[in-house]
Amino acid sequence: MKQSKIKWLFENMKGYRCLYVLGIIGAITYNVMQLIVPVVTQKIIDLFMTGENASANLVNKRDVFFLLIAAMIILTLIRTMIVYATSMLFEYTSQGALYKIRNYLFDKVQRQDQKFYQTYRTGDLMTRLTGDLDAVRHMIAWVIRTIIESFTLVLATFFYFVYMDVKLALCIIVIAPGIFVVIVLFKNKVGPMHRLLREKLSLLNTISQENISGNRVVKAFAREDYEIEKFDECSREFSDTNMKTSFVWLKYFPFMETFADLLPVVLMVVGGFFLIDGSLTMGEYAAFSGLIWAVANPMRNLGSIMNEFQRFSAASTKIMEIYYSEPEIVTAPDAIDRPERFEGNVEFKNVSFSYDDGIMPVLNNISFSIKAGETVAIMGETGCGKTSLVHLIPRFFEPVEGEVLIDGIDTRKLKLKQLRSNIGLATQEVLLYSDTIDGNIAYGNYKMSEADVKKYAKYSAAAEFISKMPEGYETVVGERGVGLSGGQKQRISLARALAIKPAILILDDTTSAVDMETEKEIQQSLNNLDFSCTKIIIAQRISTTKNADKIIVLSHGSIIEMGTHKELLAKRGYYYEVAKLQLGEEVL
Amino acid sequence: MARRNTYKEDEVLETPFDVHHLLRALVYVKKYSGPMIAAFLISALGAIAGLFSPMIAKEALDVAVPQGDKTMLIKLAVLLVGTFVISIIFTTIRARIMTRVGQNIIYDIRKDLFEHLQKLPFQYYDDRPHGKILVRVVNYVNSVSDMLSNGLINVVLESLNLIFIVIFMFLVDVKLSIVVLCGVPVLAVFLLWIKAKQRVAWQQVSNKNSNLNAYLQENIVGAKVTQIFAREDENAEIFDDLSLRVRDSWMRAVKYSNLVWPGIDNISVIIRACIFVFGLLVFSAGGTTVGTIIAISSYASRFWQPIMNLGNIFNNFINNIAYLERIFETIDEPVAVGDSEDAVEMPEIKGEVAFENVVFGYEEGQTVLNNVSFTVKPGESVALVGPTGAGKSTIVSLISRFYNLNSGRITIDGQDISKVTLKSLRSQMGIMLQDSFIFSGTIADNIRYGKLDATREEIVEAAKVVCAHEFISGMKDGYDTEVKERGSLLSQGQKQLISFARTLLSNPRILVLDEATSSIDVQTEKSLQKGLNAMLEGRTSFIIAHRLSTIVNCDKIMYIDDNNILECGTHDELMAKKGHYYRLYTSQRDCL
Repeated sequence: MKQSKIKWLFENMKGYRCLYVLGIIGAITYNVMQLIVPVVTQKIIDLFMTGENASANLVNKRDVFFLLIAAMIILTLIRTMIVYATSMLFEYTSQGALYKIRNYLFDKVQRQDQKFYQTYRTGDLMTRLTGDLDAVRHMIAWVIRTIIESFTLVLATFFYFVYMDVKLALCIIVIAPGIFVVIVLFKNKVGPMHRLLREKLSLLNTISQENISGNRVVKAFAREDYEIEKFDECSREFSDTNMKTSFVWLKYFPFMETFADLLPVVLMVVGGFFLIDGSLTMGEYAAFSGLIWAVANPMRNLGSIMNEFQRFSAASTKIMEIYYSEPEIVTAPDAIDRPERFEGNVEFKNVSFSYDDGIMPVLNNISFSIKAGETVAIMGETGCGKTSLVHLIPRFFEPVEGEVLIDGIDTRKLKLKQLRSNIGLATQEVLLYSDTIDGNIAYGNYKMSEADVKKYAKYSAAAEFISKMPEGYETVVGERGVGLSGGQKQRISLARALAIKPAILILDDTTSAVDMETEKEIQQSLNNLDFSCTKIIIAQRISTTKNADKIIVLSHGSIIEMGTHKELLAKRGYYYEVAKLQLGEEVL
Repeated sequence: MARRNTYKEDEVLETPFDVHHLLRALVYVKKYSGPMIAAFLISALGAIAGLFSPMIAKEALDVAVPQGDKTMLIKLAVLLVGTFVISIIFTTIRARIMTRVGQNIIYDIRKDLFEHLQKLPFQYYDDRPHGKILVRVVNYVNSVSDMLSNGLINVVLESLNLIFIVIFMFLVDVKLSIVVLCGVPVLAVFLLWIKAKQRVAWQQVSNKNSNLNAYLQENIVGAKVTQIFAREDENAEIFDDLSLRVRDSWMRAVKYSNLVWPGIDNISVIIRACIFVFGLLVFSAGGTTVGTIIAISSYASRFWQPIMNLGNIFNNFINNIAYLERIFETIDEPVAVGDSEDAVEMPEIKGEVAFENVVFGYEEGQTVLNNVSFTVKPGESVALVGPTGAGKSTIVSLISRFYNLNSGRITIDGQDISKVTLKSLRSQMGIMLQDSFIFSGTIADNIRYGKLDATREEIVEAAKVVCAHEFISGMKDGYDTEVKERGSLLSQGQKQLISFARTLLSNPRILVLDEATSSIDVQTEKSLQKGLNAMLEGRTSFIIAHRLSTIVNCDKIMYIDDNNILECGTHDELMAKKGHYYRLYTSQRDCL
């Protein structure tokens, strides 16, 4: 799995790989160069301080002295320039990969089935696209880079040590395996902690997100204290898990540190012995001593590298889950291309449907057909399957049995985008965007002219209240349309659905919060649209249903009555009862 | 009022950051001053122990090696190990203390932020995308965590470290130490220059991130709308653009941030070069020994190490301050609707509600209600009718004091509601909003939200009254069925029934139904009405409904339009009046 995570990462760095390799080369270069200053330092010490003719050299070879000093400064300047360039390369490539993955994920998420949204909570998805992605960025920009740096530094230094004195170098490096043992032990402990920590973060996001979205309910019930308590628990757990994760590290830290600190001690003792024996020069010793950090620090770093690596590992698992998740409802490979506007014939053939986790069948052997241009009303008690039924038309879900046909073609054989662009659906729960009213109406066709926007607003009886607003069509509505009344939101949502001139218009109880007079107005304009379309209307009001070409009454997922207003009244069944309730006996 | 914010616009920072904010952050730190001081002392001791190591090394080179004293060398090595062990122990203890402190500080800030958010009125949530609020609570607080815990500690520690190193350095050689210190002013100028650039750049990063988050959250929530309008491609484009801006702002910011290290590095090497030049050429006459030069050179690198670390922390500070100021901005957001200082508890409500010359508008210059006055007797049921957007919902939301009035006052049982605590007022009100929000959790949990200590029997009872029992029992796990986010598996009508049950369970003294039954079918509504009537007995209620059949029996019907109550009376009175209500009622009949 770990292998494939790295592979996944590598694949996503396409286009940036060359630059990344350049960055790695840069990192190797400056790390090697980092060793040069001590070399120059050693030269200075050897020549002018401890060497045989030190004092004489200082007088005679002053030009060499200044040359070395200049080299020290210039080399550092060059090195830091490479450091800067390399840092920017790492930032650029990591941001580039991040940008690519983020966009890919966003697109992936927005194309998922409705089922997906019932499984993943908003807060969790947000975590994947923010916090988890940051761990990936960190991996590219920091973890891999630090690994490269550390190994370069250790290896280069080690070779230099070997070049100067094999025995001393070996004595020092003998410490290294101990560190690796500690690292492996640490890794096994800290991995699960990071996975847990990530879950806690996701929960924190979910709780906060729901609280923010549901702020009206919280206030209506004066449940602030309860919410605070709920959040508090979550926040505490997150902090505690964070703490525990750090404590795991702190348990192993003393051992790592001890090993790293042993390096200079070994150097002092063994190097001192060699000095006394005369097998090592003072300058060489100084070089060893000046460079011992180059072995010790990377070893110290290994701990945090492993820590960050585990964080990446936990986060990338979550990201890859989304990255590789495929929606079940997609355009079939053999889909028929129908770029032209659909006619709008809709037919249900023995359609049965149930949600995955529900036991009850939601729809049972539904069959009916609607000719292009007809108006069909769907009625039935709360939860009888009306919304599920209309959601099958744009393929939000797929029937378990039977087929849904549009213009005689099974919807599964149509291209998803073409199918959906021909359907205008105004959902029950109105979701508007924090954008201008104009932008919301033109959502399905953002190039629409202002005149058109106004026309559709008029169709949906929204023009009047919009023009009364302080900034008219430019008024920004809040997220989910806050600031507008329920009826106003519904009318904007209706205008939005009309604005794409759909071949099939589906209104899912769209006028429930609109007053009767306005509703009548809407009905009239729906009958006089400047384009033809099939209308499928879910409604509770007889006033809406009575003029329909066909009324379908659903009960517990089955059609119990179907016909025109007159026919159904004559039947004296459910429809008649509803009509009686609404119109009063005397009218019938 | 400022224009509503969207994902397209950066948020304006109302109060730019100053030292004040940083001092304020210290308040959170102060709470843990005990453990922090302990951590300082421990670290200081550890650091002092660490400082002995160059001295030991110097001793080994200058004394033990020239004398060929191997025993002394081993003794020194043991001493060196000793200093390291002490240093490691202290470091570990300090890290444990600081991790705890750090996490506690984060927890405290997050708690304050969240608690304050609970106090903020609807307006606050209405005026900005929710993703922008969310990013502050979770991501921003996480970002500042390190800065306020370890960052702050490290500043002090590194500074202490620095002071000790300077002292030790001066003990070894005064003149060369002064050379080392010469680098400091150069560094100061460099950092000041870069700071100004960096700060603006990191603010941009936070802005762009916030925009991206806002768009992301809105699109996850609105995925269905995206799909029905087949807008995936356009949305991907917009997201791409936002994402690009995040990347670009980041690149601009790191352009400066990444300069800090190389800058310090260069200054440090130049200083070390100076030590050689001065030590060997200038001060050599004064008898500066080789050991001294090597020691000072080692101290010099040790002197620059904390400075480099400080540079790093400085970087961290600068970029996190952009987040911190956003957090404090939210915590400082004035609570427009809050308890007044002398607020009293609202006694048990009997139910008399009176509006006295109420003037109200959501925004400045806008009037939704103009001089509205009315009185409702305890136990009366009042229906509000009128065209959509006339202000019906506004009137009922003012009774719960969701907004402050421009002028006039509202009393309940003669008590001005702006003078009582919000909690005591709202907990006695039952409000069913148009948008029935369902929390993730079980159905029982959602109903229980109205009364947290409700028993299962009470929950079932409430569900029965609103005719929700049947469909709930039909579900897989009945009342324990997990409803997913926003109740996605429930129909709109079912959601309304559940939130209805929730409201009933809270046993409100005043009940407000704002289009509470709009998505419920007529038959269910009829049976619901029966249970409801029994419940309404003796309680004041306000009902907004478009189906006039539901309101004809109300004690009082108010027709709202043109910012005021145009008509008020019983159904029969208003019908006799042949005014607005009459026209509405008859036109409804005509519609049918």
